[in-house]
Amino acid sequence: MEGINLSRVTRTYIFGNEEFNALTQVDLQIASGEFVAITGPSGSGKSTLANIIGGLDKPTSGTVTVNGQDLSKLKDAALSAYRNKTIGFVFQSFNLKADSTALENVMLPLIFAGMSRKKRKARATECLERVGMSDRMSHLPNQLSGGQRQRVAVARALANKPSVILADEPTGNLDSARGAEVIEMLIDLNRDGITLLVITHDKDVARHARRRIEVRDGLVHEKGE
Amino acid sequence: MKMRFLDYLGLSLRSLRRSRMRSVLTIFAIVIGATGITVMLTFVTSAKKIAVASMVKTGEIRQIQVAQSTNLSYDPTGNSGGNGGGPQSGSSAKTTPLTPALEAKIAQIPHVVAIAGTLGRYGGNGGTNISYINYNGKNWVLEYITGYQPTGAMTPAVLAGRDLVASDKGNQVLISSNYADLMGFSKNYAKVIGVKINLHTVQGYSGAGATLPSQLPPVRQCPKNQNNCQGYGDSTSGLPAINIPATVVGVLDGGQPLLMMPMDSFINILNQSQPVRVDFGSQNRQQNQNCKPGVPCQPNNGNGGNNGGNQPPTGPGRVIGGWNRPSTSAFITSQGGFDSMMAEADDIANVAAVAAKIDRLGVGTATGLKALNDEKTTANIIGLGLGVLGLIALFIAALGVMNTMIMSVLQRTREIGVMRALGARRKTIRRIFTIEATAIGFFGGLIGVIFGSTFVIVAKPIIIRLAAKSVSLTGASFTVPPLLMLAVIAGTSTIGFVSGFFPARRAAKLDPVEALRYE
Repeated sequence: MEGINLSRVTRTYIFGNEEFNALTQVDLQIASGEFVAITGPSGSGKSTLANIIGGLDKPTSGTVTVNGQDLSKLKDAALSAYRNKTIGFVFQSFNLKADSTALENVMLPLIFAGMSRKKRKARATECLERVGMSDRMSHLPNQLSGGQRQRVAVARALANKPSVILADEPTGNLDSARGAEVIEMLIDLNRDGITLLVITHDKDVARHARRRIEVRDGLVHEKGE
Repeated sequence: MKMRFLDYLGLSLRSLRRSRMRSVLTIFAIVIGATGITVMLTFVTSAKKIAVASMVKTGEIRQIQVAQSTNLSYDPTGNSGGNGGGPQSGSSAKTTPLTPALEAKIAQIPHVVAIAGTLGRYGGNGGTNISYINYNGKNWVLEYITGYQPTGAMTPAVLAGRDLVASDKGNQVLISSNYADLMGFSKNYAKVIGVKINLHTVQGYSGAGATLPSQLPPVRQCPKNQNNCQGYGDSTSGLPAINIPATVVGVLDGGQPLLMMPMDSFINILNQSQPVRVDFGSQNRQQNQNCKPGVPCQPNNGNGGNNGGNQPPTGPGRVIGGWNRPSTSAFITSQGGFDSMMAEADDIANVAAVAAKIDRLGVGTATGLKALNDEKTTANIIGLGLGVLGLIALFIAALGVMNTMIMSVLQRTREIGVMRALGARRKTIRRIFTIEATAIGFFGGLIGVIFGSTFVIVAKPIIIRLAAKSVSLTGASFTVPPLLMLAVIAGTSTIGFVSGFFPARRAAKLDPVEALRYE
């Protein structure tokens, strides 16, 4: 089954003797190619939701199925391959390797995929062209502006042709103009069929999404079109 | 698809480059240990190689020294443990005499390719009957002389010229370097080769080269106030001293004043002819040893003449029945056998077995091989001691690597989280860090080997010069053995790997969510 399917997902953290439910019995279906904004206040559980969908975290109970794959059953190797091939992560603070050029940063997930040097260079170049960074390929992150860095991060997320892009506060560190550019770019990718999940508490960003989900106290609420 | 090793290496080296100062310092600690180990083990292995090479070259490695003493220690000059009271003679519980008959028996033992008896005597009366060496009008007292059978089993080390060979039937001699020095050849030993010298005998000499008359000269009387009357009073004591010409063929490497010559020639000098009978005529006396200081020698009832009386014979005696001389073999036996013998086995592998068989004949043996093994053991112990010091240095360096790697994991926690999000497996993370630590060890070892080799090259002439006083290291190969280079690099790489293993495992176990949150 294509798309993302969460069924009765609960994620419990234990702090000392106390248990805390970041997510409680969450049921959620996201179809392939959707653009979903996940909003909610700090500590509401939206990042936990994103981490579980991204395969970085596992639910305490319930099942998560992405494109027919039950993530809870995957071992480290398969889960890593899932993150590598199916998901493209975009972070608020870009998380680029400071000692590597834009091109090398984009090539990193391709290295983990075991792609040959020649092929990954070609693919990374292609991705950087896609985000309009073909003239900055040999720049180090500290030689780029915030917006440019986030473009490189988007190119890196695209490298392995993922079916889902998970962007956690992608505009959080950018001014509104640069933020809008990045959102435009992500929407453009969504138009090409990539499922786009944007975690944000920026209402302007959320407004771009056709579907908005609010996470509050570990529960998911649909906000509609 | 699997990640390639070169990609792992690229990621690891990149992170080493990023923390350049830290990496350099960590590598430097390894370099110190690796340099130390390289230098120390090179000198130990070189010392062993030199010992082996010199013993193999001279054939000493296949030699079995035989002596009456059973508690024998090997001496390539064949001097120790003998019965003849050589310069290094060992006391001993005597066993079977080293007679020519025994020599023949040893020669029969399988794998014995050569055997040589040796016999040594001090100079002067009662010894060799040679009192001094004469060259170019100058005389030097003969301290000690050794005869050996030049069969190839004995191989005294020479500084110039050659050892004696089987074809040396005459008076070819090897002289010690101090005689060569006295003769004025200290600057150039090669020039003394071929020089003719004279071996000047004592008076009363009747060995090889002596004219054996039918009328003996008057008997020498021991002068008053002389303590030692040896050489006086014998019927032949009036025979003149002669010069025995000899040719120098080699200069011996060694400290003591010494002459060496072929056994047969040596025996010919030692083995004195005796008159069968001497008639002193009117003096009615036959003469012999009963001499006391200051008193005319008394006759005894020896082997000739009329019955004894109280008057010592002084006048010339007439030889009756010619001259008599024991056979060489009988002479050696009469001397209590050879001082020692040197047997040579055909192969190193047979040395111990041959030595055991010789032991069973009731004599003592010592082998060059065993001596070499003892030397090697000593070298190994020294090497081990020095190696342990190097290992301690490396252990400290290993702690440095571990510390560096723990710091690196902490510093790169967030990066680890990102890599995990981008699809790196736990195994990938572990490998990146392990390879990084191994690379620190590898480069430390590599640089250490380069430093060590450079040190060896620089120090080699100095060491050879310092050692020249005690041993000759000319042409010795002080080079770092390639296997040692590889072993050092492999060793330091392993140390890096082991030191990095636990930090790498820790990095691999990091929870990606936690790691991404790490500030």
